[in-house]
Amino acid sequence: MVGPSIRIKPAGESSKASTVDGGETSHRLIGFLLSQPQSTMNRLYQKPSSCLSIFRLLQPLERQVVMNLLWLETPIPGATMAAWVTREGKRPYQEALSTLQSLHILPQQSTRPGPPQSVKHNLNPTFKASLRQAITGGGTSGSFGILAENDDKHPAPDIEALDAFALERWETILYYMVSSGTGQFPAKPSQGVLYLLQRSGLMATVHGATLQITSAGFQFLLHPPHEQLWELLLQYLQMAEERQMDLVEVLSFLLMLSTTELGKVGIHTIQFIAQVTQALPHAQSYSTENLSATQKAMLEDLRDYGLIRQRTATSRKFSPTRLATTLTSSSPPLPTSAGTGDGSHVQGFIVLETNYRLYAYTDNPLQIAVLNLFVTLKYRFPNLVVGQITRDSVKKALANGITADQIISYLITHAHPQMRKNKPLLPVTVQDQIRLWELERNRVKSQEGYLYTAFASHADYEWVLDYAKKLGVVLWENPSKRCFFGSVEGHMNIRGYIERRSAGNA
Amino acid sequence: MKAIRGVLLTCDSAVKQILLTMNEKGSFIIEDLDDNHLVIKADEEYRVRRELEAELEKNTYSLE
Repeated sequence: MVGPSIRIKPAGESSKASTVDGGETSHRLIGFLLSQPQSTMNRLYQKPSSCLSIFRLLQPLERQVVMNLLWLETPIPGATMAAWVTREGKRPYQEALSTLQSLHILPQQSTRPGPPQSVKHNLNPTFKASLRQAITGGGTSGSFGILAENDDKHPAPDIEALDAFALERWETILYYMVSSGTGQFPAKPSQGVLYLLQRSGLMATVHGATLQITSAGFQFLLHPPHEQLWELLLQYLQMAEERQMDLVEVLSFLLMLSTTELGKVGIHTIQFIAQVTQALPHAQSYSTENLSATQKAMLEDLRDYGLIRQRTATSRKFSPTRLATTLTSSSPPLPTSAGTGDGSHVQGFIVLETNYRLYAYTDNPLQIAVLNLFVTLKYRFPNLVVGQITRDSVKKALANGITADQIISYLITHAHPQMRKNKPLLPVTVQDQIRLWELERNRVKSQEGYLYTAFASHADYEWVLDYAKKLGVVLWENPSKRCFFGSVEGHMNIRGYIERRSAGNA
Repeated sequence: MKAIRGVLLTCDSAVKQILLTMNEKGSFIIEDLDDNHLVIKADEEYRVRRELEAELEKNTYSLE
């Protein structure tokens, strides 16, 4: 079998623009899946939609390996596969294989020692069958969601309505977080969302009753929406077991949603068109009929997060929003016009000048509230807020646990297109100053411990110091003064050591 | 041999001089180790940090 060598992109060449495709680090969900047992993964792989979604989250090289193996009926010798790999590609290739094995997409190789030639690669048969089905269609499992019959009385919401809904839900959550503790009382998200925020450590109760944003929460606000969404969903997955929900069903439902089409019939649902008798108008919902009890229970939670929309709580139809349909893709999870930002350049709205003055072309209360975390806002116009980055405003942000790098990367991500003509993008003075302000906070470092001093002889000193060094607890030493400072952790050991020694001498 | 409980402060020499001045008002330094290191009483750390912060703040110019 002859094929082109697998070329590995050197690190750094990959495009930063997309979060899923080009990133050097793997997707957060993959990290979660790596920790799941084989039985869970095998059950998950029974769904073609889950396989396709996971495939989309893999690194390019991993996808390449899967694609090479997908249509082979018999295992292929490892040596044949390895012949495709260039010398520089060896390590990434091995890493890709081991990731795929940990995901149980490739079966685990037995650990018995043997020549590498004896290794044969084959895809997990469940995964292989499902992914093939996902690509070629066929089957009636309804794994990609079943479209609901059209209903003239309650037409499915169109894309604008869905976007507006998703945005409203999502911004309610973020706005609630950002304005907690500021004395304002914006609309509260549902109890389920509040619980999730608390469990994920993004918010915590202070003085018993009120929820306050934590330092992790402040950092969360500066992340792009795609990451924010997955951060919450991973927390949701972790909570699934406590709530006696079947993890596989929760996961496969999320992954199914990620393959659904926003407001219209797309390629995955073509097989169902025959079942829909009428000519399709502009919008379409999915039916809840083939969902399990767990998945029906999830509908309520997902409605709160803005991932799906239902006309009423008991409706037998649901429409996925853009937040749901982009879960495993690199397209922006929120509609572009609103500009909550996903890292794409179109949405920038911030102009920063060398005199620390900041102009933000926005009227979105969430964006203004986020800026207010580290900018002293001065004037507000219908489509523009003007503020200044000051020492005080940055210090306030630092005190909240936001780092200088996060501020800078937020400013870069949301920079106005006009700013992109500058090189470097942000004024260097401002960047440096923000970093200097951060350093200023760390002028004094403190470590608790014990000062060991007044040793009877230099030999005694050396002897205790050697022991402390072996423990790795010495923070400071001075042989001429015959004293050293050890951390708290080492104290009991050092004391015991000295006591044993003096007891031995006596 | 003696072991004294305390907090090791690692700082630049300017900050150390401020701390020495503060120590004249209310003693909290256990041992002056070298240019960058001091050992202070553990229960005074919070107060010292707060006062130092206020002292450093006097030396910065603010637009507001």
